[in-house]
Amino acid sequence: MSVSTLNRSVAALVSTLALAACGSDDGPQSVAIEFGAFSGTTAIKCGTAVTGLGSGAVTAQVKDFRFYVTNVRMVKSDGTEVPLVLGANDDWNLTVNNDRVTLIDLEDGSGSCSEGTAASNNSVKGTVPAGDYVGVKMTMGVPFAFNHSDYASATKPLDVQAMAWSWQSGRKFAKIEVTDPDGATGTWASKTFNFHLGSTGCTGNPASGQTVSCTAPNRMNFGFASFDPRSQKVAVDVKALLAGTDITVNKASAPGCMSGGTDPECLRVFESLAIDWKADGSGTGLPISGGAAQTLFRAVAK
Amino acid sequence: MRHGALRFAGGAAVAALTVLAACGGGGTELVETRPVSGTWSWSLPAFFPEPKVPADNPMSAEKVELGRFLFHDRRLSGNGRQACASCHRQDKAFTDGRGQAIGSTGEPHPRGSQQLSNVVYNATLTWANPSLVTLERQMETPLFGESPVEMGVTDATKALVLQRVRDDSGVARYRERFAAAFPGETEPITWANVIKAIASFQRSLISGDSRYDRWLAGKAVLSDAEQRGMTLFFGEKAECFHCHGSFNFNDQIVHAASRIVETPFHNTGLYNLGGTGAFPEPNRGVFELTARADDMGRFRAPSLRNVEVTAPYMHDGSVADLDEVLRIYAAGGRQVVSGANAGDGRANPYKSDLVSRIDLSPAEQADIVAFLKTLTDTAFLADPRHADPFASN
Repeated sequence: MSVSTLNRSVAALVSTLALAACGSDDGPQSVAIEFGAFSGTTAIKCGTAVTGLGSGAVTAQVKDFRFYVTNVRMVKSDGTEVPLVLGANDDWNLTVNNDRVTLIDLEDGSGSCSEGTAASNNSVKGTVPAGDYVGVKMTMGVPFAFNHSDYASATKPLDVQAMAWSWQSGRKFAKIEVTDPDGATGTWASKTFNFHLGSTGCTGNPASGQTVSCTAPNRMNFGFASFDPRSQKVAVDVKALLAGTDITVNKASAPGCMSGGTDPECLRVFESLAIDWKADGSGTGLPISGGAAQTLFRAVAK
Repeated sequence: MRHGALRFAGGAAVAALTVLAACGGGGTELVETRPVSGTWSWSLPAFFPEPKVPADNPMSAEKVELGRFLFHDRRLSGNGRQACASCHRQDKAFTDGRGQAIGSTGEPHPRGSQQLSNVVYNATLTWANPSLVTLERQMETPLFGESPVEMGVTDATKALVLQRVRDDSGVARYRERFAAAFPGETEPITWANVIKAIASFQRSLISGDSRYDRWLAGKAVLSDAEQRGMTLFFGEKAECFHCHGSFNFNDQIVHAASRIVETPFHNTGLYNLGGTGAFPEPNRGVFELTARADDMGRFRAPSLRNVEVTAPYMHDGSVADLDEVLRIYAAGGRQVVSGANAGDGRANPYKSDLVSRIDLSPAEQADIVAFLKTLTDTAFLADPRHADPFASN
């Protein structure tokens, strides 16, 4: 830990120097990958109506919009992948050895997001060695080394209680929720559609007290062959996430899709993530073709 | 701790204090090993293995006593209305008499409260969760869980609840107790330490002084019916012992010397919705976590110690009394004849092969129930070391 912390400090220092040197060709270059909440091509936020969601093209309100991102790599034209080294550990970022995670929080605790937090974070910031980068790859999820730590004593940003997922002794990798805009007087049979992504089928070792494995990891890989963080950002498209699903009813299992291996509301949702999920519970929870066909994330102009 | 020691007002503890005061002059048999400051001594029947304790949370008398206060303190819930003890009552072996527990906000839980006697030996916690293997981690579910809400502590109330503990000016004297339980820490009142203390208290809940235990030690007699029931229980006819055969009357045990720990879960044929093998949602056992068909309806066999006082039975409280439990096992499962849960559990395709129809007469069933009632540890159920420290104030 202390060595790692030192490395972080050195990296941060070097990065600061590089900035001070106004983009010297040799030093590390800063990269900020920004995310935005969208419904199709429309930017959305807490407290405003979001139209045209799900199979019924219904109107909803955002209730929550948070997810963890890990393993961000910048990609060179020859396909070389270079890890994005995060800045110093803070409220949103944690690096321990080779494991890195950032909490992206696109809700601000206002309006229909009242169970959220006022603080928010829309980007992954870090540095890569100087070079020409044409694309980016990353994973939505929490590294296994972090995922099953204690919530109560965990290091930021793993201490956020709302992202705890105690039924699998892990974390919600993503918590994106939409709710009936008319609340109790509305017409939705099931008032909130919850999308919670996380590893399932987890088992602990009673002798060691540790979580040792999960049958369905459910970490979502995605990337863009062409991505310029200076002019583009990553749109997180709730309309794509909910496409084809009736979000006003809960046919079975958890309300919405909480990654349940046989939950019918997970079928189309997991298609949008390009994670292997099968109605009979036999899905592997692994990315299909590296997440090539995912529709949740898109590169858009800033 | 002096304050706490004074509160030990009953039974063996009084005997021990008396003996100490008399400098060993009384000739009273000391069955208790009293913990001393900063250390812990287990007081166990000879056939109980030494419990496993996490290396980062060693037992101490101070921590256990602090945990007793926290376990019984309603201020530990988000709205201040519910303590751990609200659903885990000592006189019911730390169950609550309900088939399904009710959380601090009134939200019902799909399953019943666990009994906690000898919980230190449980390899996995709760009814059916292979991922929960320590009391420290398990506790985060009732404290912080959102679905259902139990204690209801959230990001918004996490600091507030801790501040209530810091601000305590009453009998709990938390600042002193935390300092004593976590010596050397400059700010010991943290969630991690709250959890450690409660886990230590839970680990101290040893029940090994039932009439059955005393009979084993040659200090009590069992009636003819109880002995017939015991023979059936441990015999190849009733075969109860397959899942309830350990010293703790269950089949998932971890202890200090454990190397390989098996964690079986069982479908006992309670349901068979529409003949598909399904159990009602959201109580499908391990299946809820794994989505594997084989895991449908598989639950952990609970310890039968103190089972007399933990009614109603099964994960969902759907069996009212022990007589009905025995009828179901004799039949090799339960047939639900009508309603949303209709189906013949006896024919559940995922049912454990250990549960089959047994030719048990009503008299034999009654004998087994009589034996089960010898597992009641009345001293445990009233032990002042486990009692609500706020009750007498």
